[in-house]
Amino acid sequence: MLYLELLIQGLVQGGIYTLIALGLTLVYGLLRILHVAHAALFTLGGYLGVILTNATGSLALAMVVTMLVTGMVGMGVYRVAYQPILDKPPYVALIASIALFIASEEIYRLIFGPYGLSYDAPPLQGVIDLLGSGMYLKQAELLVLLGTGAALVGLHLLSTRTRIGIAWRATVTDPEMAASFGIRTQRVRYLNFFIGSALAAAAGVMVALLNNLVEPTMGSVPSYKALAIIVLGGIGSIRGTLIASLALGVIESFGTIYLGSLLDRDAIAFAFLILVLMWRPQGLLGRA
Amino acid sequence: MGYEITLATSMCISVVFALSLNLITGFCGQISLGHAAFFGVGAYTAALSSKAGLAFPLDLLAAAAAAAVFGFVVGLSSLRVRHDFLAITTMGFGFLFLGVVRQQDWLGGEMGISAIPGSGLSKLGYLGFAAAVAVAVALFSAYLKRSWLGFSFAAIADDEDTARVVALDVARYKLLAFVLGTAIAGIAGGLYAHHVRFISPDSFGFVESIAVLSMVIVGGIGSVPGVVFAALVLTALPLWFQVIEDYKLLLYSALLFIMMQLCEDGIGGLMRRLTQGRRRTT
Amino acid sequence: MSALLSVADITVRFGGVEAVSNVSFDVQDGELLGFIGPNGAGKTTMMRVITGLVTPTLGSVCLEDWDLGGLPVFRRVQRGLGLAQQIVRPFNSFSALDNVALAAGQHHTARPMRALFSFRRARERAKARELLKLVGIDHVADSMPPSLPLGYRKRLELARALALEPRLLLLDEPLAGLNQTEATALADTIADLNRRGLAMILIEHNLSEVMRICPRLLVQDNGRKIGDGPAESVMSDPLVRSAYLGTGEPG
Repeated sequence: MLYLELLIQGLVQGGIYTLIALGLTLVYGLLRILHVAHAALFTLGGYLGVILTNATGSLALAMVVTMLVTGMVGMGVYRVAYQPILDKPPYVALIASIALFIASEEIYRLIFGPYGLSYDAPPLQGVIDLLGSGMYLKQAELLVLLGTGAALVGLHLLSTRTRIGIAWRATVTDPEMAASFGIRTQRVRYLNFFIGSALAAAAGVMVALLNNLVEPTMGSVPSYKALAIIVLGGIGSIRGTLIASLALGVIESFGTIYLGSLLDRDAIAFAFLILVLMWRPQGLLGRA
Repeated sequence: MGYEITLATSMCISVVFALSLNLITGFCGQISLGHAAFFGVGAYTAALSSKAGLAFPLDLLAAAAAAAVFGFVVGLSSLRVRHDFLAITTMGFGFLFLGVVRQQDWLGGEMGISAIPGSGLSKLGYLGFAAAVAVAVALFSAYLKRSWLGFSFAAIADDEDTARVVALDVARYKLLAFVLGTAIAGIAGGLYAHHVRFISPDSFGFVESIAVLSMVIVGGIGSVPGVVFAALVLTALPLWFQVIEDYKLLLYSALLFIMMQLCEDGIGGLMRRLTQGRRRTT
Repeated sequence: MSALLSVADITVRFGGVEAVSNVSFDVQDGELLGFIGPNGAGKTTMMRVITGLVTPTLGSVCLEDWDLGGLPVFRRVQRGLGLAQQIVRPFNSFSALDNVALAAGQHHTARPMRALFSFRRARERAKARELLKLVGIDHVADSMPPSLPLGYRKRLELARALALEPRLLLLDEPLAGLNQTEATALADTIADLNRRGLAMILIEHNLSEVMRICPRLLVQDNGRKIGDGPAESVMSDPLVRSAYLGTGEPG
């Protein structure tokens, strides 16, 4: 029973990682930028979610508005931070991104205060008896699992069934070829940042539900973990990202119980990362 | 006066630390997002060995050796992964270091190590010692850059595959860069331990790794005078103006962000362009 | 007296495809061997076997009786194999002169610790200048490679390879991308280097230049060796002619 509980806890954590890492993978696939500042959008999502839920009383409304607003902020980040330096060496964008991320934490601290915010009346805190088995799951945790699934199905449909989605895949595969077919790559990039940022915002709202707390630094650890995940999965591979996210969630969940005296949770995640990379330098599903 | 001496000592330690990363990232082109871990290994080694009775400054050599051993291991990983992957791997080593230290009682765990023996020198004497180390490391860096080792490092930073075609043993060169750079970081860590006499895992985290990287980048990757200048200024600024201390991170990050947008080759690059421009006009 | 380079029974399989099938040949000291074949003949794969980028499924490569099997690229270069690659990749942050000087300092850079204790570059720079003169681009010695036209960068690649003082120089399509005047001039330089005693393998698509300067040809098609001998007789071989005509590429 303990194993099953640990597994489910791991999958919930893995779902959060997936939602965050998807945006990173999309950006890397398109622009070869390690978009560390992505986690700033995750934190923004958490704050907006709590503030809007408290203001309107509706989690659903707050979620939708938060995703839209954060998605647009994400497009702004691309325009201001990355577009001007796309043709510079790769470390330039990486450092700019880290700088933007650290600055964002400070800005959140100045605007929202250092101690964080909570829901006035935290929604979805009820527990569900899973399949009548005596296994209990919080509603919020179920939301994470369902939300992750929905995001993956939605992305799949978007990229296979819609014109803009097909243009997007074409651009990821071969930007020059896509441009020569008349695809407006600039629009595709904006779409990319919109979707990735909106998903990160959803993850932010969900983490706020799970912990009933948002704080300026809530993005740090997920940010570094998400970087580890997209590298683990084989950068640019959505399937690899999913596998790596879930694997990392589960490994952390078991590792904290069995290796907790030796390493803390983050160290377990990064030890796993280093071991996998030494074995497969291109990541789990990456091409050599 | 005491405060100025403390500040100046911190600045000298920063110079040593920043130059150590400059050797790896600036000269040899191997990006590292976990360099504070080697500073930490040095600080812990110096703290524990001097508590165990090893005399200053011999414990600094122990600190250098311990950091170099870890640097060698991380350097091995640079033979497997490159560029962005190496950045993430080194970041991972940084977190791994913190995670291990936090869980080990003999390393003081979360509480860290306090009452580290002093150097036995006066405050002014210790400043003189730290300054001498900083000058020595700066001179060594300047020499190295112009030696055949620096020439080869620059080739590897430029294009590893071409470096192999001109018969360079790229793996050994990279390992040497990591060993030298991390050994110097270890010395910086040891100096730090005797300076503040209390260390805890919080002083060696990701933010510290980014801070030292920002010194190298603001200074201009690979430029010895640029990096020395940036290390001095970026250390002094927040300590001089207490107002800035609260906004230290915001200032750091804004500076770094603007630098990347406007001139990614830093102060060193600016100076180079200015002098070349002048030469062209005369 | 054994051959300078001896390639014995090399076979390379990628998955189920045989890119090179059981190819053997020797290169004698001082020889200039033209290595030709239609596109997709497996020339590049063969070349990569010699340089160490591709591990052959079967067979061996020996340079002056040293078995090169399993050695990485830089070790082969240290043993005397010079490479001028098809896609030229100079160090873009070094001047043309320093590109060559680094290679000329091989004795300094063979071991990193030795490199740390070597400082002076004057002798290597002088030698680099001579080599740039030899390939006819000493007037751009201080230029950065990205500002040089392709023809110059091809010559720079050649000068850099020469600076390593190779026993055998592999030239991978040095004339590709050059106009006929440039190609003829570079081919003359290559022939001249050979007359000074340097052994070379020239992989090239420009058949007229190959025929002009290479006394001996090696022809590969579909991964098999289909001709090896004096240029004239190889090119009159019906098998070789049909291989070329078959791909619509008349000599």
